[in-house]
Amino acid sequence: MTTKTSLLKVILLGDGGVGKSSIMNRYVTNKFDAHLFHTIGVEFLNKDLEVDHHQVTLQIWDTAGQERFRSLRTPFYRGSDCCLLTFSVDDNQSFLNLGNWKKEFIYYADVKEPEKFPFVVLGNKVDVTERQVSTEEAQRWCQENGDYPYYETSAKDATNVAVAFEEAVRRVLAMDERTDHLIPTDTVKLHRKPRSAVACCS
Amino acid sequence: MAADSVYKVIFEHEGVFIHPSSDEDGIEQDLLVSGSLRIIDKDGEIFVEYKPLEDAVDPSNMLCAGKDSSSVVEWTQCPGDKSHQMIETQQSYETEWDMINTVSFRKRPCPNGEGFLNHSHERSRWTLTFSVCELKSITVKEEGWTFLLCKLKEATTTIPALHFHHGGSNEFLDSLRHFVLLTESPDDTTCLLVTSPNKALSQSFENLLDDNSFGLVHKFKKDPYVTTLGGFSKVTNYIYDALRGTEEQHQRPPQEVADLLGEIIPGLEINQQEEPGFEVITRIDLGMRPQVTRRHPLSAEDWTKHQHPEGRMVNVPHLKHSIFKGGLCHAVRKEAWKFLLGYFPWESTLEERKALQRNKTDEYFRMKLQWKSVSEEQERRNSRLRDYRSLIEKDVNRTDRTNRFYEGIDNPGLALLHDILMTYCMYDFDLGYVQGMSDLLSPILYVMENEVDAFWCFVSFMDQMHQNFEEQMQGMKTQLIQLSTLLRLLDLAFWNYLESQDSGYLYFCFRWLLIRFKRELSFQDVLRLWEVMWTGLPCQNFHLLVCCAILDSEKQKIVEENYGFNEILKHINELSMKLDIEEILQKAESLCLQIKTCKDLPHSVSVILGLDTLDPCGSPAPRPTQCLDTCCKGHLRETSHNSCKVAFMS
Ligand SMILES: Nc1nc2c(ncn2[C@@H]2O[C@H](COP(=O)(O)OP(=O)(O)O)[C@@H](O)[C@H]2O)c(=O)[nH]1
Ligand SMILES: [Mg+2]
Repeated sequence: MTTKTSLLKVILLGDGGVGKSSIMNRYVTNKFDAHLFHTIGVEFLNKDLEVDHHQVTLQIWDTAGQERFRSLRTPFYRGSDCCLLTFSVDDNQSFLNLGNWKKEFIYYADVKEPEKFPFVVLGNKVDVTERQVSTEEAQRWCQENGDYPYYETSAKDATNVAVAFEEAVRRVLAMDERTDHLIPTDTVKLHRKPRSAVACCS
Repeated sequence: MAADSVYKVIFEHEGVFIHPSSDEDGIEQDLLVSGSLRIIDKDGEIFVEYKPLEDAVDPSNMLCAGKDSSSVVEWTQCPGDKSHQMIETQQSYETEWDMINTVSFRKRPCPNGEGFLNHSHERSRWTLTFSVCELKSITVKEEGWTFLLCKLKEATTTIPALHFHHGGSNEFLDSLRHFVLLTESPDDTTCLLVTSPNKALSQSFENLLDDNSFGLVHKFKKDPYVTTLGGFSKVTNYIYDALRGTEEQHQRPPQEVADLLGEIIPGLEINQQEEPGFEVITRIDLGMRPQVTRRHPLSAEDWTKHQHPEGRMVNVPHLKHSIFKGGLCHAVRKEAWKFLLGYFPWESTLEERKALQRNKTDEYFRMKLQWKSVSEEQERRNSRLRDYRSLIEKDVNRTDRTNRFYEGIDNPGLALLHDILMTYCMYDFDLGYVQGMSDLLSPILYVMENEVDAFWCFVSFMDQMHQNFEEQMQGMKTQLIQLSTLLRLLDLAFWNYLESQDSGYLYFCFRWLLIRFKRELSFQDVLRLWEVMWTGLPCQNFHLLVCCAILDSEKQKIVEENYGFNEILKHINELSMKLDIEEILQKAESLCLQIKTCKDLPHSVSVILGLDTLDPCGSPAPRPTQCLDTCCKGHLRETSHNSCKVAFMS
């Protein structure tokens, strides 16, 4: 069978104002708009890329962070292949909330094995000089909470943005290879989203 | 519609017995309860249900019996319970994350304190229902026949042994295996341990109970007939999905998202309407859509003509009509908006308005002082105020920053926006600040160029929009349902298309409705649209017809390109700044005229648009007769598709 493009859904979560929308826009359009509006509702953008000879379409979902809209935000967690937990290095509270975002995601996303789910952590706004969260602190959190890859990004000057998304894709692909071998056939039905497309080109 | 309660029987087996005599209390030895055992899928949650035979089909018994019955496992929310194990709360963000903390559930203790089953002679009392997620283990025993001992995770609840006198236990277990993993216990080979892979799904179901007025259970209790009926359409969808085969796998995540949204959004119709059952209406021939023209904006001169020397506005209906038809020249807005928004009464004199402004200025600054005078110390102990302030600061920096009134770093417009929003928190602390409110204020402040006037005009606008921002977002839910009702009248085929793409509840219109197209149109066009809407003409909820007008322009593309759930959402999101306001207003007015000339308008539509009150006889329009246009192909599908009381048939 020829190589197919697989569609991966990734979702950006984190406190309002940490730069989720800016990161998405930077990655997809390679622009930083300082006049961007705060997000209302949910939005997504697609981006095609190739990672380790896999053709992938990333569907990147961006949501509004405020509590009031939770019930209309959380349904969109369903079917996510990867979650980018985002905080801003100049906002300690956004860092403290990472754990809550992780829990909210696991809770609503129908994640079968939370321990194995591919999270990637982004510390955004590294271009800002007044940091409130140190690299070491953030790395420690990532290590202690499931050994997640950690990237310090800047949507403003494009630092590490593409790299982080590519790592997210790699994590998902690696996951799929594992699960495709491990899941016995009769329980495949229960598996959230069998992705034969990925399996056949691995 | 996605709103419907899905009720699918996955497995059914009659001749399953309960032997009450084996209970300690020693009831008559000869009492054997015979009944049927089912596995049912209710909105994605799988239940095991046992019902004694005599029990006639009474849907209200299916999930939860009435409060007085102790024979059914009933889910009640238990705030606080367990929550501490789940999440350690963090500092001021406690409230932010409240919801996760409280979504733990326990079973309602039996009101009569008799334990799980009420040992009554009434067989209906033996009805029992539990979710498969609550199953801990099933022990399979043989005694000439097979009987199963189901254990729930909560040890205090016991389920009586289920005796399969007529076989069927293997089939039952096989069927159950579709939804849970059954693994032999290492200690006891007759014991199957149950692991439920679909925890999140059941949890999201529980969350619905959290939201009282929308909980399926609530809906089901209230009007089981409608809920079950609606469920049938889902069964057909289900079959359809199965036929789609492999494609289903790719469709599934969007569909799941859609189903969850559908459960959150609709359900209002059922609670609101006074009569049970369906109001069945044939697809109505709306006739021609009349052409209308827009006019020029009202000039300053025209405005002055409507003003008496002492300041009273005269011939207000005519004035409003002119504003509706053409909007206002910018120079008039600063004054006219105060009337349109109800800050100034139309019949007030100049003197009276001056006095009013004086009072309102005092009142404003009194409230402003309240938050201005909160010390850092105080604020440290006031997490709600702190959170409001932080949100406002973040959002003010991200609202209309390309507009000359708000651009740059030290623009005074930004400080005003901030201060008015903070003062509004003092005016309505319960609501506080919710995202979207800065968008509603920005054009008003831009027009008023005055802090106090902008504040009070904003207050008036918020009076109209308040419900959108409330905790339960009732306003959003109501509007989405109303819009869906209108769209089904105007364009059933298109609505059916949307419904087939899991988009029938129109979630993609969320941003339009939340902030009245503020993000969809250019700033100048927003000013035009809002002043037109504020005239209250030509009908109530005109903004919903504006939605219909935009959708009418987009439907060809959506249908031709065969857009699915995600693509529709994306397409609608990306319409932003590409819309032509005059074209839209023209079409929306046409739609209104078209609807108004229709004789057999469904009652619900008249209510939404407020057309009843325009009846010259002063009496509400007669309820449309129930006419069945059975010859038309496909009408049955339409009926079953509708969970709402009004079923349009084509
Ligand atoms: N200096 C700096 N500012 C950023 C960066 N990313 C976003 N911002 C700014 O932070 C604010 C919030 O960004 P936004 O993308 O709206 O955050 P969201 O609420 O998480 O979507 C905006 O004013 C952005 O311009 C960044 O990498 N560096
Ligand atoms: Mg955003």
